[in-house]
Parts: sequence; structure tokens; C-alpha cells
Amino acid sequence: MAGYDESEIEKLIDGKLPWTRVQEIMKDAKDADRIEKWVAILQRRVKWPERILLPLTPCLFIVQKGRSRIVKCRCGQEFGDYRANWKLEALIHVRETEASLREVYRGSEQPDPAWVQIREYSCPGCGAQLEVEAVPRGCPPDFNFLPDLDTFYRDWLERPLPDEQEFADKTLEVVRSWSEE
Amino acid sequence: MSSVPRMEKLQDRVSLKDQLRRNDELFAETGSLFGMKTLPRKQADPGMYEAVWAILLNICNTGWIVGCKVSSSPVAAEGGDALWCLHLPTGEAVCASKGIVSHPGLLSLLIRSYIEHGYEEYPGFHHGDIFENNDSHYGGLHSPDFQTAVPIFYDGELVAWAASVSHVMDAGFVTPGSIGFLNPDCFSDGVPVTMEKIGENDRVYPWYEMRMRSRTRTPDWVLGDARGRLAGCLTIRDRVTKLIDKYGLAYFQDVTREYIEDSRRYAVGRIRTQGVPGRLRKSNFKDLAMAGKRVILPQQNVDCLFNQPLEVTIDANAKVRFSVRGASGWVPFGENITPSACISGLLNVYSHMVGFDMFNWGAAAAWELETPPAGSWANPYPVNYFASSGVAWAPAVTWLSSLYEVLGRLYFTRGYVEEVAAGAATTMTAEFSGVNQYGLFTAGLTLEQASNGQPARAMADGDNSAWSIYTPQADFGNAEISELFYPIMFLGRNVEPDSGGYGKFRGGLGHTAVWMIKNTPGIEYQCGCAGLRSKVVANHGMFGAYPTWPDRPSYATGTNVKELIDAQKPLVHERGDSDEPDLVKRVRATRLEPNGVAPFVTPEPLHEYDLVVHPISGAQAFGDPLERDPELVRSDLDAGWTRERVAAEVYGVVARRDATSGEWTVDQAATERRRNDMRAARKKRGVPFRQWWKDERKRILARENMASAVLDMWRASMTLSPDYAAELRAFWKLPDDFTF
Repeated sequence: MAGYDESEIEKLIDGKLPWTRVQEIMKDAKDADRIEKWVAILQRRVKWPERILLPLTPCLFIVQKGRSRIVKCRCGQEFGDYRANWKLEALIHVRETEASLREVYRGSEQPDPAWVQIREYSCPGCGAQLEVEAVPRGCPPDFNFLPDLDTFYRDWLERPLPDEQEFADKTLEVVRSWSEE
Repeated sequence: MSSVPRMEKLQDRVSLKDQLRRNDELFAETGSLFGMKTLPRKQADPGMYEAVWAILLNICNTGWIVGCKVSSSPVAAEGGDALWCLHLPTGEAVCASKGIVSHPGLLSLLIRSYIEHGYEEYPGFHHGDIFENNDSHYGGLHSPDFQTAVPIFYDGELVAWAASVSHVMDAGFVTPGSIGFLNPDCFSDGVPVTMEKIGENDRVYPWYEMRMRSRTRTPDWVLGDARGRLAGCLTIRDRVTKLIDKYGLAYFQDVTREYIEDSRRYAVGRIRTQGVPGRLRKSNFKDLAMAGKRVILPQQNVDCLFNQPLEVTIDANAKVRFSVRGASGWVPFGENITPSACISGLLNVYSHMVGFDMFNWGAAAAWELETPPAGSWANPYPVNYFASSGVAWAPAVTWLSSLYEVLGRLYFTRGYVEEVAAGAATTMTAEFSGVNQYGLFTAGLTLEQASNGQPARAMADGDNSAWSIYTPQADFGNAEISELFYPIMFLGRNVEPDSGGYGKFRGGLGHTAVWMIKNTPGIEYQCGCAGLRSKVVANHGMFGAYPTWPDRPSYATGTNVKELIDAQKPLVHERGDSDEPDLVKRVRATRLEPNGVAPFVTPEPLHEYDLVVHPISGAQAFGDPLERDPELVRSDLDAGWTRERVAAEVYGVVARRDATSGEWTVDQAATERRRNDMRAARKKRGVPFRQWWKDERKRILARENMASAVLDMWRASMTLSPDYAAELRAFWKLPDDFTF
């Protein structure tokens, strides 16, 4: 089983390793302790104290905050319970006119705004663009990943998390609390 | 070796059908293929185990080399887009050659289908028999893909199969060619070979050849490819027989089963050790805008949008379940696919992303596909048995692309950034049909679509023109060879700047081919859909990237290109500016389509000096474009792989070009200031989701700015998948009886 220094993993994730070395890593059996080193590196890079349970994207992490597990941006912005789609707490900018699409896609590169919207989700804290969706009107936002954290830590990593929580999609619970007007 | 589930029973003439049933029972009872609790041959002698695997891999690849050399069509002979496999007697693929890896699953299911249909009893399986199929009602993908299977006997016992597939150049559709997106129903899907025995004693029956000669437009290529498939299969049969001579039948029978179970374990293990249990969702959509275009039947004068949702759930045992719940309805075109072909497509992605160490049928036992909604594009026959599958692969490409990103998200969470893939490129084909430079009728594909950009990783850009979703041997062939096959001349074949999306890491770039028609009295250009998008872009904004742009080809007929050549004036060698392409700037023509919505067939034949500009898609990008290393932007500017506008307005890079050297320099401080301004602008223009939701809900209720294709799609999806409809209504708080 391969094993790598944390410093080498850090160079790998930052795209700083020579390509020949990356290829060796790709071809070799995977290092089983990658997640520990990966999380340790990411934890060092954020300024807040909450423990990272799982990185979701380059910006967003599921963290343990008190007895809650929430989604948190590297800038510190919080997005609520990880079991509800974090996009509900993001800023959204939708491109659905030729003029607004033109800022990204021009001329023959432009999709038809009657067929598709470009939805840009940004962090209210730092302005990082977190996800972009290209879907027709009517499509609910993708809840890209709802991890089964307790099964992961208990059965796969054999390091159970305290305070097991129900594995369930809470997105519609949030929406139900919203007023249509 | 007493614990090995040996095949003595077979030798006792247990039927293959009984053996199949027993295999299924053992898998259901134990969770292991063939009930294998251990891999005794591997444990006893891992060196021999690996050596024989390497020999089998070489045997299949030798079949590929021989088969492609014997084949006639440019796709097989020049591009190598074909495949040869070794299978168990019950069909499960043991080992596959290089080539089109979307097919080992289909070939496995094909052999299983022969057995389930009682072929072992009648017409029986004998040494020298040749079986063939291209009928998707019985296991094929689409009719241009001809599947050949040859049983391998040893001492009178059926011990394996050699099987092959190749994509012929003309399948005998109503219209010429092999990308049958225009086919309205299965009766227009061309010459059928429905689970047939097409030869014996290693010879193809004469009536098979007669049928191909009278019912396809390029019979020499079609028959040459048939000989190629057979030659590759006979090569495998010969080499496998020698291998059994050397290692013994018992070892062969044991070890081939172990390879399959080993592959299953590898795929399960990879998810368990490199993934995370839970649920992943990825919507995707694919357009097929045909209203107002040249079609075959009146009901095809319609625009279609495919809903292609992917849901992946991974349980505590690392069992993966796929669902396409919410899929929209079947279409009156050749873009319907069967559930068995979806299974083979999923196996194709696994060969890239999960189970590539020992690739065979085993990976397919590591997951399940929920039966797609009956009547959807992914399962049309329960509602419309006459649905066409002229190019069934087309919807698969855009659906399967989601799985690359989904698996990439899994690998990302655990830090395996080098394994991430941001989403696939599309597959837009070019076919020509008409009289060629030799005075003969020709119809067939160019190879351009077999070299897309590669998806971005989480730590590097994708490679340019070096990847294809359906083959690990991305190869667009030599331009000079294509010019021998078709009456065209390449004026350009250039990397297309910015065609790999915009992100921290961009997808590999695609390329644009520019063809001038030459030496023909007239030829049609069919800009075909084998998995393209032209009205929409892919839903692949992974972690904040922008998706690649739509596929938009262009062409000009009745041009002044001859005069331009005579006057030694600039011609068209690339697409050029997307607002004012080179075709518009440099060429006068009686008909000029600078921004064609694909797919289409040219309304009239192209003639001497007419031009076609055919772009091939790049792949998807990863991450926020404002986090792209300015040095990578500078490098792309120097290479001509990104444009000044994009560098400034999308990447936020302030760069200056030295007028003398032509090289670019980045102003780091100004770049940082611009990027901060752009982030601030995002915060200013962005609205809280909840506020947008309220406004958007009203627009949905008003069906505001929704094309008919979008409305039709939602109606079909909600009808075919009530659960999906209920969740959609609940999210937008729509009335229980709401439909679009």
C-alpha cells in the first residue's frame, strides 16, 4: 500500500507536483490514509475552529459545530444543516437573457435562454462561485451530495461520530417553512 | 483445489440455461459471482494468475489488431473503433481488447440472450458457428453496431465465446449512413440481423452476403467489417485453444471465473476505500431541435428536450444503485436506448473511472440499475415497441457524462484529487454520403468525434483532443486517410480555444475541422447526433466552473472559394470569432449557415469548393474560474488556447501582449484587484436563494419563457415518474395537480 508524506499530498492537491510523479501516484495502489492527510491539510487552511468532517467542494465543508453538522465555507460563512441542500442558503444569479449570457457565452457559443438557465451559486461571505447549474426553468436545484456520514465514519473508517443523526434529505422541510408571498 | 466451483457439471451436460440460473442464484445467495467465497487460483499462484491474465489481454488485443486490419471501413481500419472480447460459456465477459469499451456488457448480455432464447437446443452451438445481432430488441445497442459471437469448443465442450462489435458505415437506414438520429421508428433502422446464425464451419452463409449487398449502400465496407469481426474472433479462438493446451482446461475454467469475481471485488473495494456512502444527484438535459428541418415523417417536425437525471445511492456495503427516475419520454427519432444498453454504458464509465484494473463483466455486478421509467427514452419498448434506436448511444453519452462528475465528487471528498473527472465532452459526428472521387457511391463517418478534450481533474487541466467517452484509444485518424475515403480536403484541423469550459482547471480543448468539398458531383453532409447538445449546455458547472458551449457547426454552399484560391487570398482554416466567424468574414456564398443548430442534414448536396466547419467538443471544467492560476491563463494566451476577452472577463486576469515578441505578461497585482472586484460584483448582483425561489415559482406557474420542448419534457417526466413529479411540485410548492 502506497503512503505519501503530507507535504507531497499538499503539492498534489495544489497542482504543484511534477506530472511524472502524479502519474506514478495515479498508477499505484491508493494510500488508505489519504482522507486523514487531506482533512488535516484543509483544516490548517481555515481560520475557524470547527472540525471538518467531510470536504464537499473546494470551498465547502461539512463541519461539527456543537452537536450540529453544518455546511461551512472556508471563509466562515455557514449554510445550515448538511442534510438540506446548501444552495438554499447561497446567493444565486441567473443568466436567462441574451445580454446576461453574453458576459460568458457570445455569438455561436450562446445557448438558447428559452431552453436553459445558467444559475450561478455564490457564497454570501466571500463571493466564491460555488456551483453553476445549466438547467431549464422548473428544475429544482440539484442536491449534489448527501453523504451518509454516520455509516461512513462508523462502518468504513471505523471511527464512529458522536451523536448519530438520521440520514435523510431535509431540503423539503426547509422549503415547507417558506412563504410563497 | 476442492473449493473451486469447478465446471464439472458442465461436462456432465448441464445446460447453459441451467448454468445461468444457477449463477444468478449463487450471486443472490452469496453476493459473490459464481458463489466464490475465495479466489483459490489467485491465492495458490498469484504469479501465474497475473501471467495468464496478461496473456488473455494480449489475445483480445491481437484479435483487435487482426480484426481491424482485415476490416474495410475507415472507422475500424483507420480508427480502430471496434472491440473483441472473451466470454464465459454463459456470456459474462472475461477480458476485453482495446477499442469501444461501451460494448463488453452488451456482448455479455447478447450471449446470455442466445442462451435464454433456447439456442443451445435449436439451432444448437457447434464449432465453427457464427452468430450475429444488431437488433436492439434483443440486446444490441443500435443497428449500425454489428455484434458477432463465435463459440469456442475444447475437446467437444463449449468452454468460452469470442465476440466482437464494429460500427458499420451504412446500416441500410432510410437515409444513408450509420448515425440514425433521423430514423422515426425501428422500421427505418436498416438491415436487421436479429439473433441470427449467419454461418457455420467458419464461413458466412452466401445469403448473408447477398442481403448486405442489396440492403446497404456500402456493401464492400460492411462485408469487409464482417470479415474483420470474424477474423478477430477466430484469432481469439485459436489462441485460447493453445492457452488451454498449455495450462489445462480446469485451470482455464477456474481462472476465467475468478477474473470476473476479482473485478467485481475491485469495483466494490474501490468505492468502499475511495468513496463515501450516501446519495448523489445530477440533472442533465439534452436537446434535439428538429422543428423546421429536413426530416423523414411529419411527426418529426418537433423540438425535443431529454430529461436525463442521474441518482446514485451507495449503501453501507458499497453497493451502488443507479436511477434515471424522471427521464422524459421516447422520441420519434433514433435516440431511444434500452435498459440493457444503459447497463453496458454504465460499465463503459466504470472502465474509465472505477474498475479498470481487470475490466470485464464483474464490475456490472457491483451495482444495479433501477429499471428506467417505462416509455422513457431509456426504456421505450414497454410503451412503443416500434421506437427507433438508430443511434441509441446519443442519449447515453449525455446521461453518462453525469456519472463522471458524480464519481469525481466522491473521489474529491476523500482527497483523491488526481482521480476526479469534471464531465465528458459531447459527440457530434460528421458523415458524408454521395458520389466520391472514384465515381462510387460512398456513405460514412469521419473520425473527428473520436478525439475530444479530456475532462478536467481537480488538480490539472484536461488534455486537448486526447479523450473519448466510448474508447480509451482516442484517435481522430490521419487527415490524409480521411481524404482518401471521402471527397474532401482538410483546410484546417485546429485546437479550438476556450472549448473546454471555464474553471480553475479547464477541460481539455476540442478541435475544429474545416473541410472543402473536392472531386465530387455532389455529396451530403450529415451533422449527426451521437450525443450532442446544440440549444442547451451541459449541467456541468462542477464546483463553480462554466460548462462548455453548445455544438454549433457551419457550412457554405455556392462559394467563391475557387476565386479566393486563384487570387491567393486567405481561406477559412478555423472557426474564428464566435460573433463574426471566418466563414462569414472571408467567403461569399449563395447559402451560408454560420451558426447551425445541430443535428441536421444539408438541405441540398454540397459541391466543389463548398465548405464545412465542424467543431468537436472539449470536456468540462472544474472550479471557480477566478481561482485559475494566472500563469495557466498566460500560458493559454501564448498558445492561442484562450482569448483576451475570456482571460479578462471570465478569468479576471490582467495581461498585456508584447507587440514585438508576441508574448503575454500578467500583472499580478492588477489581476488580484480585478478578481476582488469581480467577487464583490457577484455578491452585489446575487440574490438570496429564498427570494429568487419566490419569484421563480411565479414564473413557473406562468410558464414564462419556456420553449415548447421544455414544457413537453416536463409533462412527460412527471407522467412517467410520479415520485419525481411529487418532489418537483413539493420543491416549488405547486398544486398537487400542477403540470406544465
